[in-house]
Amino acid sequence: MSKGSVRLEGIVKRHGATTVLHGVDLAIEPGEFFVLLGPSGSGKTTTLRILAGLEAVSEGRVLMDGVDVTLEEPGERDVAMVFQSYALYPHMTVAQNIGFPLKMIGTAAAEIRQAVADAAAKVDIGHLLARTPGQLSGGQQQRVALARAIVRQPRLFLLDEPLSNLDAKLRVETRLELHALQRSLGATAVYVTHDQEEAMTLADRIAVFMDGRIAQVGTPREVFAQPRTVDVAGFIGTPPMNLLPARWEAATLTIGTDRLAVAARTEAPRDVTVGVRPGDVRIGATGLAARVERIEDLGDTAITSFTAGNRLIKQKADRAPDVREGESVRLSFAAEAAHLFDRATGARL
Amino acid sequence: MDRHKYWRRLVLAVVAGVGVAVWVFPVLWALATSFKTERDVLAYPPVWLFEPTLANYREVLVGSSSIVPNLWSSLVVATLTTVLTMLIALPAAYALGRLRYPAKRASGFYVLGTQMLPPMGLIIPYYLVLQKMGALDTYAGLTVIYLTFALPFAIWLMVSYFEDVPFEMEEAALLDRAGRLRTLWYVILPQVRGGIAVTTIFVFLNAWNEFMFAVVLGGNRVRTVTVAMFNFISVEQTQWAKVAAGAMLAMLPVILIGFFAQRHIVKGLTVGAVKGGGRR
Repeated sequence: MSKGSVRLEGIVKRHGATTVLHGVDLAIEPGEFFVLLGPSGSGKTTTLRILAGLEAVSEGRVLMDGVDVTLEEPGERDVAMVFQSYALYPHMTVAQNIGFPLKMIGTAAAEIRQAVADAAAKVDIGHLLARTPGQLSGGQQQRVALARAIVRQPRLFLLDEPLSNLDAKLRVETRLELHALQRSLGATAVYVTHDQEEAMTLADRIAVFMDGRIAQVGTPREVFAQPRTVDVAGFIGTPPMNLLPARWEAATLTIGTDRLAVAARTEAPRDVTVGVRPGDVRIGATGLAARVERIEDLGDTAITSFTAGNRLIKQKADRAPDVREGESVRLSFAAEAAHLFDRATGARL
Repeated sequence: MDRHKYWRRLVLAVVAGVGVAVWVFPVLWALATSFKTERDVLAYPPVWLFEPTLANYREVLVGSSSIVPNLWSSLVVATLTTVLTMLIALPAAYALGRLRYPAKRASGFYVLGTQMLPPMGLIIPYYLVLQKMGALDTYAGLTVIYLTFALPFAIWLMVSYFEDVPFEMEEAALLDRAGRLRTLWYVILPQVRGGIAVTTIFVFLNAWNEFMFAVVLGGNRVRTVTVAMFNFISVEQTQWAKVAAGAMLAMLPVILIGFFAQRHIVKGLTVGAVKGGGRR
């Protein structure tokens, strides 16, 4: 079961004068579903491509199963990749596409046929083998790309936003199947996405990328409940965490002119950024003065936007609150619901 | 069908018909001429009904002024030119279309720039160079000269086809353990085969139809069919019927290629018009 462990040690990637990755360290366990999450340009895709061997590193080492593969070619690493565009070979049939990696390592034709049939069955495209990619829908093409990746049973699967070209409904269905597939294969998967919902639902652990660095590594629950930096806090969650500048003295926060209690105490007064999840925002008689801007009722949830001073605050609840747009209200939160970050460094306190 | 559409179609058909007639008339005229006697050719007013004769074909095929050796010369030069051009142009165009290297733009412009030189200006230098090398009137000499025109053209044409192949497809093949050469062979070349067909045909036809360089740089040993036909025109008389018969024979491969490769040519020329639609 030790097959499929990955370590990145001090990976630096430079393109000319710009540095894309500033020293990335990562340890991925065998069999793990590991998600690289971050906004575009954060370095997550570059990291995946470095794992694939499609990009060279400027500094640092890549280890797979304890072996240094930093200088190995993509084909030597025993990894398979599903591309965002699927990158199917348009002039080959589905069967030829799936069988291509086996053909390249000289597998016997009969064996290829069997392996292709098995792989295709796992992703429910057994009936499409004679077609060419041009005759398939986007979802079917996606499955072909998956089948091509699993057919030779690599130690590591790399997936680069594989669901982003599917429509919303199919994306959610495929997400579930993808997870089941990975579990049944037991192989390590590294999955890149900018969609935090995908990350939260698929991942055993998430690495959150910010500006070419890993801001946090943890389970979806940890990343959500204990964001390590203000950037992570502002990225995770739908809608993301409300972030407000505040003054922290003892166990009290001063936001503008309003004062609210928090669970933690500070010795010395300091400037902080306070973060509150939209789900933790309460409407009541005390707290921060705010005005109701907009209520978006989605049926099973309702998202209400408020302005407090020049700040936008969002609240999320099961049902729309009993307020009208334009009404003045007061917002508060439970003392333990506040996340406190250093104003200057953005680090969690 | 409404009236407007009907008229539109009619006008289009007439315009197209006139266009086709303008192009086809000389060919048909030459075809008719090739079956006439020299006397009928020169008859004025032209004779529309005449007794067809195969004498001209007999003469240009097996007679004393047979052009069969010339057809052979043309075939050798055109084939050599085409094969060498494609062997060099494919990797060159792949590199230009794919790899990132310094001065890529400059080299691309250089390749295109060689197309801009007027051929007339080159013919004397080429003559002198070949003469010094003792390569006048040789297959090697003429082929090398043709390469200087065919190569830039072929490279320039092929680059756009290679650029249309997505990077990710190549990377997928690398991850599938194909390696560079097999990636090129199994994944990339099949996607540009339309372009290869079009380029091959154009290069071949250009070499086959070339006259000016062939007449100056060739001679008694290497005399292509275009030059040989010219020999039917002399100071004393012009043997129009034989010229026509020779032209028909010389056109035969062109027509055959056009007929069989029509689909590829049309498709190849419209690539890029519809993104990703043309290469399948």
